[in-house]
Amino acid sequence: MAEVASTILVIDDSVDIHRLLKIRLRDQNVAISSSSSGQDGIERARELLPDLILLDIDMPGMSGFEVLAELKHDPLTVEIPVIFLSGSGGSTNKVKGFDLGAVDFVTKPFDIAELRARVRSALRTRKLVKMLAQRAQVDGLTGLWNRTHLDEQLVCQVSQARRHDTPLALIMSDVDKFKNLNDTHGHPFGDQVLQEVANILVEETRDSDISCRYGGEEFAVILPMTSLADAVTVAERCRQTLEAYVWASHDDLCVTASFGVTDLGTAEEPTAASVIKSADAALYAAKHGGRNRVVRADEEHSTRGDCSSSGGGGAASESPAQPHHGSSSAA
Amino acid sequence: MQDQQSNPGNSGPVVSEFADDPDMLELVEMFVDELPQRVQSLQSSFESQMMDELLRLSHQLKGACGGYGFPSLSEAAAELEGLLKSGAGDPGQIEAAMNELVDLCRRASPGPGQGD
Repeated sequence: MAEVASTILVIDDSVDIHRLLKIRLRDQNVAISSSSSGQDGIERARELLPDLILLDIDMPGMSGFEVLAELKHDPLTVEIPVIFLSGSGGSTNKVKGFDLGAVDFVTKPFDIAELRARVRSALRTRKLVKMLAQRAQVDGLTGLWNRTHLDEQLVCQVSQARRHDTPLALIMSDVDKFKNLNDTHGHPFGDQVLQEVANILVEETRDSDISCRYGGEEFAVILPMTSLADAVTVAERCRQTLEAYVWASHDDLCVTASFGVTDLGTAEEPTAASVIKSADAALYAAKHGGRNRVVRADEEHSTRGDCSSSGGGGAASESPAQPHHGSSSAA
Repeated sequence: MQDQQSNPGNSGPVVSEFADDPDMLELVEMFVDELPQRVQSLQSSFESQMMDELLRLSHQLKGACGGYGFPSLSEAAAELEGLLKSGAGDPGQIEAAMNELVDLCRRASPGPGQGD
């Protein structure tokens, strides 16, 4: 089959039901995992991030309602559609289930054709919602993710990094004197610059990194499982590549960008907002330190201190800056 | 109350509704093979007065039997579960409901091998 199989997680206290569903759905191009308790099911859902969850209402210990409430409370799992499996189709149960966020109900014993149809329908809707959500989160000019996506992903990544105690870094970048470029060479060239910066960010980062256009001429890259030092290396590589880039229409022009880099440990608080604030402060320091440089958030104060006497960027020289290297990165 | 649709009398085999579904045959056979073990668990839980365990077993049988094409077993299991859950049933009623379920479990058959 050409299409990638969808993943379904079955949470039901009865192993008989697991087996039954595996057989009943085996011609539906789905991969089925199963879990026998609510608590375990929630953990599996967070690990697997399945396309659909089939959830038994009536389980010993944690009930299906409690499981659903918890899944809908977690940003990681909130978007996963849940179909309730219920013994008795009482309407109060159904109302409660829909109110909690279930997309559908299937009553046991299963009518096989109906079960398959409901599963297909839920997976189809899931696919469309995913596609629309994705389109709404892509920047039209550069093809990078947009700010909405960055904000959402950062919350997820921060929560994942905290849960698994793994590193997480963020790079914020801003094209230097972009307004001048636009004014001097025209907006089409400005757009071309933004597209090239986007290309560089994508090429110099891993597939697992999340590159975004944060707004205007500002970019951000989320780097999961990456230390501050490694993220600085990545940022430095991006900085050098852009600086060395030869523009077809303006081969004497040197476009540069400034970079602020932070990680979860350096931010004041372990939250998405605080990580952004920290990277922003480092970027600000890079700008005020003379642009075309990479500043680490944990060294931001000294850098800014060194350069504060030279004043704001307003009176900076016209010619593109000569290669400066951030205080922390060796040439 | 416990009349089996396709099973005349009260002693013939109770055949799965999926008897002629090749997809399900193996699965139903496996389920039926495991029923004696479940019967034993039901009885020993009752004898040692482990009502929580009896409740769990009847709850699982209720769901499973329906799924494997044995609605009458599912009903009997639901009956027993209901009595245990509500706390309304006296020991005699509970035992009778359990025996009813045990009897049906023993008669369960994956396909029309012996009956008519």
